[in-house]
Amino acid sequence: MPKRRNEPDSHRRNFLKGAGLAGAAALSPIAAGAQVSAPKQDLKAPAPGSKQIAVETLPPIKDLINQTSSGGDFMVDVLKTLDIDYLAMNCASAFRGIHESFINYGKNTKPEILTCPHEEIAVHMAQGYAKIEGQPMAMMCHGTVGLQHASMALYNAWCDRVPVYVMIGNIIEGDKRAPGVEWVHSAIDPAAIVRDFVKWDDQPASLQHFAESAVRAYKVATTPPMGPVLLSLDAELQENPVADAETLRIPKLARVVPPVGDAGALADAAKMLVAAENPVIICDRLARTPAGMARLVELAETLQCAVVDNAGRMNFPSRHPLNHSFRRSVISQADVILAIEMNDPFGSLHAFSDRIARSTRSTTKKGAKIITLGLRDTYLKANYQDFGRYQEADLAIAGDGEASLALLSEAVKRLVDDSRKAAYEVRGKKLAAARQAMVEQSKSDATVGWDASPITTARMCAEVYAQIKDEDWSMVGTSIRLSWPHRLWNFDKSYRWNGVSGGAGVGYNLPASLGAALANKRHGRFTVSFGGDGDFMFAPGTLWTAAHHRIPMLYIIQNNRAYHQELMYLTAMAARRSRGIENAHIGTTLTDPNIDFATVARGFGVHGEGPIADPKDLAPALTRAVAAVKAGQTAVVDVVTDPR
Amino acid sequence: MDRLVRTILFAAVCGSAVVVAAQAQEAPRGDAANGKRLYLANYCYTCHGRVGQGGAYNGPAPALAKTAMPYEGLVGQTRNPSNDMPGYSAQVLPDQELADIYAYLQSLPGPSDPKGVALLKD
Repeated sequence: MPKRRNEPDSHRRNFLKGAGLAGAAALSPIAAGAQVSAPKQDLKAPAPGSKQIAVETLPPIKDLINQTSSGGDFMVDVLKTLDIDYLAMNCASAFRGIHESFINYGKNTKPEILTCPHEEIAVHMAQGYAKIEGQPMAMMCHGTVGLQHASMALYNAWCDRVPVYVMIGNIIEGDKRAPGVEWVHSAIDPAAIVRDFVKWDDQPASLQHFAESAVRAYKVATTPPMGPVLLSLDAELQENPVADAETLRIPKLARVVPPVGDAGALADAAKMLVAAENPVIICDRLARTPAGMARLVELAETLQCAVVDNAGRMNFPSRHPLNHSFRRSVISQADVILAIEMNDPFGSLHAFSDRIARSTRSTTKKGAKIITLGLRDTYLKANYQDFGRYQEADLAIAGDGEASLALLSEAVKRLVDDSRKAAYEVRGKKLAAARQAMVEQSKSDATVGWDASPITTARMCAEVYAQIKDEDWSMVGTSIRLSWPHRLWNFDKSYRWNGVSGGAGVGYNLPASLGAALANKRHGRFTVSFGGDGDFMFAPGTLWTAAHHRIPMLYIIQNNRAYHQELMYLTAMAARRSRGIENAHIGTTLTDPNIDFATVARGFGVHGEGPIADPKDLAPALTRAVAAVKAGQTAVVDVVTDPR
Repeated sequence: MDRLVRTILFAAVCGSAVVVAAQAQEAPRGDAANGKRLYLANYCYTCHGRVGQGGAYNGPAPALAKTAMPYEGLVGQTRNPSNDMPGYSAQVLPDQELADIYAYLQSLPGPSDPKGVALLKD
């Protein structure tokens, strides 16, 4: 355990404290009625004399007032080598030592602090940021109550396979804690509550230990399969002078090259895909970098096969003729299915019936061969069941999907001769035609209720797209089951989309969108996001962070005035029991009073529009909001919509 | 997200199947105004939209505005739904009320030509 370094005579001082307490007890008047039977010979220290009492009642002679070095400064030196741009946090006494080092010694750059009014906001901002920027953000919080606030967001990041660099403050040694709050805010093992959903954690016992763990944490977090990591920083280490500066060393970070699948196995996969009559690629959290989408396009075009994108990342252009994400019947026709970086392949290859007797059935063709490629299975934990039901496979390849695609594509190209090319072209044309028919059907569906109030979600999305399609836009959030953008918008660049929450923890969307918007800001992109009213209410303080840090974002609230998915579940339960459903709104709706989100937004210092229930009013409101965003603000547009 | 996209298509397919499978039969006389009240009061709109534009539950809920589904198909789907749609017994939603709802659905404007909607051209 670390020792205080600013008190060379600390042992003596502590000894005197103990003696003083014993002496004070001996001199105190005895409470009336108290039974005192301890014999004098049991005392461990003699009663102090007058000089000793004087020493104890005066300030320690050698209690230093100032220090010229600090562990916190060294920690900042270490963290600067990791090139982390931002540190999202809610301030807390448990990390006051390193906080002061960040702002004064580190000059609030690399990382720059983002002030967040809730730890969940800080983690979710980091999650959204990393998925656009490709680099982790740091977040910092109190080791007990702060981490408890942060925990749900960490679960989302874990399920979403996103690196978040978490640091918490703690006071390890009991005799160094002030009475009261510092005791209830300290823990023996503070990371325990999140250990099931962080990839790695440590509580360094020395500054050198910190240096090595800090670099290791970054390396672990950013090695696929990625995930959040956590370092618990002892307050003594953060705050006190550095006693052994000459011995400290910051290790070099070597970024891990993601593992590529076995060449022989990829060659076998290529043979199966090339020989297949109807191969289908299905993917989820595949693209880590812009190269991911390009490589998937290359493989799909070589094979002229359908791609079903579960949209965990920006994997495949939405308007590509081979994108059949909304024509999943292709899965049931496939004879070979290549599943890449799928979190839940079973769920995508089976239909589930949510009835009294719950059941599943396979949606794949009998005899279809299944190839899995990815790193999902290489790092699992047992408690939280985020891995889904076991999916059988005919060929399972452990390797990073994006990194392995290049090798797989080359193997496929070597096997495609001219006769196959001709057959593939025919297949591709059929797929393109079927996809175009699906698009026309979607557009026709969108016209129903076009002028209705509350506004249909199709109209809302079309109005928004009309305003932003000529910008260099990036859509970084969506409300539950809002599929219109992916059905009709042109997602053609790697930053057009960044996936969803991961753990389906509500409260993700607003802060994660803001984190993504921060990443987009430096690239001059226009950030747009949709979110539900229920999600918004979990962390509305995010808007203050948006205003304070001047982060531009167009945020559309799909305001159906309910936790609508839950309302529908309750309706289904009541219908199942034939009890009538008129009470299903109890506990599931957000009415009486209706929330005025535009006023809330303005209260936090951002632009607010709405509530807008008439579709005719939507375009002018969006025009004003887009102008505000282009001027550098976040703008909230409250659109009163039909439920879905 | 995968479940979202997958179920959207599943329900669309189921909706079509109902249309095909149901026997064409003249619907009993229904009161469209009362049907609208019942459609809203019984929360049909929560999945299918207030104007029958469709929506989603566990999967997609098909559009019902001016549905091609015959009345008998609506009754069959309501009493013994083919997907995750909640089943509504006659005790909760009597046949006459279903007839009123059917009349309301038939009174709604169905889809129009998207080429006539400027915002859907791109």
